Amino acid sequence: MRLQYDAETEAFRRELRAWIAANQPDVEEMRRDPSTSSAHMPLWAREWQRRLFDAGWLVPGWPPALGGRNATSVQQLVYFEEMDQAVARRSYNPQGLSIILPSLRDFASPELQERFVLPTLRAEIAWCLGMSEPGAGSDLAGLSTRAELTDDHFVVRGQKVWTSGAHFSDWCFCFVRTDPKARKHRGISVLVIDMKTPGIRVRPMAELTDKDHADFNEVFFDDVRVPRENLVGELNDGWAMATGSLAHERGMLWIHLVTRLEGMLESVARVARRPDGRGGRIGDDARFRDGYAAFYVDVQALRFMGYRGFAKFARGQVSPEHSVLKLVGSELEQGLALLALEALGAEGLDVDFHSRSHYDEFAEYPWARQYLRSFGQTIAGGTSEIQRNIVAQRVLGLPRR
Amino acid sequence: MDFELSEEQVELCRSVRSVLERECPVSLVRQIVEAGSLPDQPWRSAGELGWAAIAVPERLGGLGQGFQELGLVVEEHGRALAPGPFLASATQFLPLVLEAGTPEQQERFAAPVAAGERTGALAVAGPSGRSLALDDSLRARRDGAGWILEGSRHFVLDGDTADEVALAARVEEGDGVGLFAVPREALKTERIVGLDASRPLAHLTCPALAVGPERALGSPGRSAPALARALEAAVVALSLEMVGTCQRLLELSVEHAKQREQFDAPIGSFQAVQHKCTDMFTAVEKARATAWFAMMAIGEDDPRRSLAASMAKASAGACQRRVAKEAIQIHGGTGFTWECDVQLFVKRAKTGEALLGTAAEHRARIARQLGL
Repeated sequence: MRLQYDAETEAFRRELRAWIAANQPDVEEMRRDPSTSSAHMPLWAREWQRRLFDAGWLVPGWPPALGGRNATSVQQLVYFEEMDQAVARRSYNPQGLSIILPSLRDFASPELQERFVLPTLRAEIAWCLGMSEPGAGSDLAGLSTRAELTDDHFVVRGQKVWTSGAHFSDWCFCFVRTDPKARKHRGISVLVIDMKTPGIRVRPMAELTDKDHADFNEVFFDDVRVPRENLVGELNDGWAMATGSLAHERGMLWIHLVTRLEGMLESVARVARRPDGRGGRIGDDARFRDGYAAFYVDVQALRFMGYRGFAKFARGQVSPEHSVLKLVGSELEQGLALLALEALGAEGLDVDFHSRSHYDEFAEYPWARQYLRSFGQTIAGGTSEIQRNIVAQRVLGLPRR
Repeated sequence: MDFELSEEQVELCRSVRSVLERECPVSLVRQIVEAGSLPDQPWRSAGELGWAAIAVPERLGGLGQGFQELGLVVEEHGRALAPGPFLASATQFLPLVLEAGTPEQQERFAAPVAAGERTGALAVAGPSGRSLALDDSLRARRDGAGWILEGSRHFVLDGDTADEVALAARVEEGDGVGLFAVPREALKTERIVGLDASRPLAHLTCPALAVGPERALGSPGRSAPALARALEAAVVALSLEMVGTCQRLLELSVEHAKQREQFDAPIGSFQAVQHKCTDMFTAVEKARATAWFAMMAIGEDDPRRSLAASMAKASAGACQRRVAKEAIQIHGGTGFTWECDVQLFVKRAKTGEALLGTAAEHRARIARQLGL
């Protein structure tokens, strides 16, 4: 056990920092043309990702042939910490880079890898992930979008929902039912589907925060023909990717969560410095201070739990920490937003300042909006109830019903 | 940077656990609670196996290992609900003597405790029980070459059983803090009937006690930093003990939820019970991660050590609150009985929360340290 990083790792950190400082996108350009969805990559975002890739900084843990530099696991940890401090995100199509790409590498045929791996790395194509359906939310394995194999094509019929970035995506990494007679986890396959194929209709769904903002969509498939070679992995063996793909990079994804929470803590500290209308500051209030300190401790605890999970991950052990981190982190985000909003009182109701873009890196979001957004955190990517079930059953070994 | 135990540390935990399971079963703790007397075990083992000496330098007969190793041993003590003088001697008295004492004083006061021959206690709190700001309920004034101590200290762990007591007193010079090692027989002691009878607390009174200069640790009036640092170590150790105790409460509850059947199914298969168990687990994981960070911060003398200590105590406090409530609830009516062991663990963890600064006091300190 050790807190300090060794000199070699610190040198790695300095090299990365210097590179980011010299290569990050122009802030004015980012403001002028903001990314408005998890699959919307403006030109600057594509160029930035391409620069990262060319310099070996996009996927440093990968081999050089795929644009990596065989970074050690500690170096990767430092990499994610540093990238989260940068002005620009690593990718503006995070599901493509962090979930779909690793799944393609692990499961796809050499031909599919040839077609998709490098273009995805270079930000030439944007992806959405077709998982949830109206009838398959928490019970994802109950999905019913049907793909029927007829000679050399699959014919896809059904509907996906909550599909982030579908309205900006070139391709969909789509979970479909290929054997309706098999037990539900057994009859699922994954297809990569060209979003321009006839029969696909995308309907963006605005979030409760703002009627003009939509990241997720309903996606309708009406007899969509998908070439057989677009099957990822084995037929009827797709469920492994549903669990596997989400596990990808989970060894590191928590860093982003913790960084976001630390950013929120700093924002709440700014709230604390505002006048309380009685000649003092909001931060003078003992209950506010107690609440703030409690959140601060929990956010730090989350970071240290992440480090513990990482230590296991780096030793090749399975770490249950991810579900715990997601569960704790999302609830902290809700609590922090509420703390700030309630401390601000009526002042917190004014949502009409700063950028309207949810993806603007520079906006200090109005707290009322953060409060609304935070409701999504305990639902998206597996509800808190499902996470609690997972921990109880897989970590604590409690029996299933 | 590495948040995982080394193989040696894993081995250390394993060996401490197996000794404590053998020599300190919960039945022993129950016996103490019911009879009110402390046995020699497991302190004798702690002495023989060098647990008290773990973080003490080799020149004082210690093992010269780090605070991490001491912390891990403490966590195991919490898990076993180990009674006895280990916590006060090894994590309160020794750090203070090592931080404040001259080499001669360390030799005189720390070495025998490290060897397991004598025991020690640390007296800081005032009558309100608050430990984080030294009050003037105990004062020391110069008297020739020596000192006169007058007043009282309160809620002192092992205060009426330890051989040697380190007293923190107000002095009228410098930073206002003086530290004195005083034999317990010289003090008037009053045992408190405490929530956890296996964790004896006492009030100590000195009616104008004359103390020789050799018993003034370091330099009175320049002792505030030493006291603060020793308290940081003590707070982290107590937090680790609480984590160990809470871990055991979690395990007892999960075991019970697997065994106990109602409606023809183990109650642990019901989502409401599963979610309680998960919440206990996350509370323990948060508290352990925070306490381990603090343990490393103390061990490496990281600049964040003070903040880290308060975070550890705040997290352990929040953890015991959740874990105690759910553990009794999951055990149902059984959990409310004297004969169920859960109550012993709940009382130990709650006692830990109240000593050396409550979770709320530490949160207030964190808010201050963060410039809020």
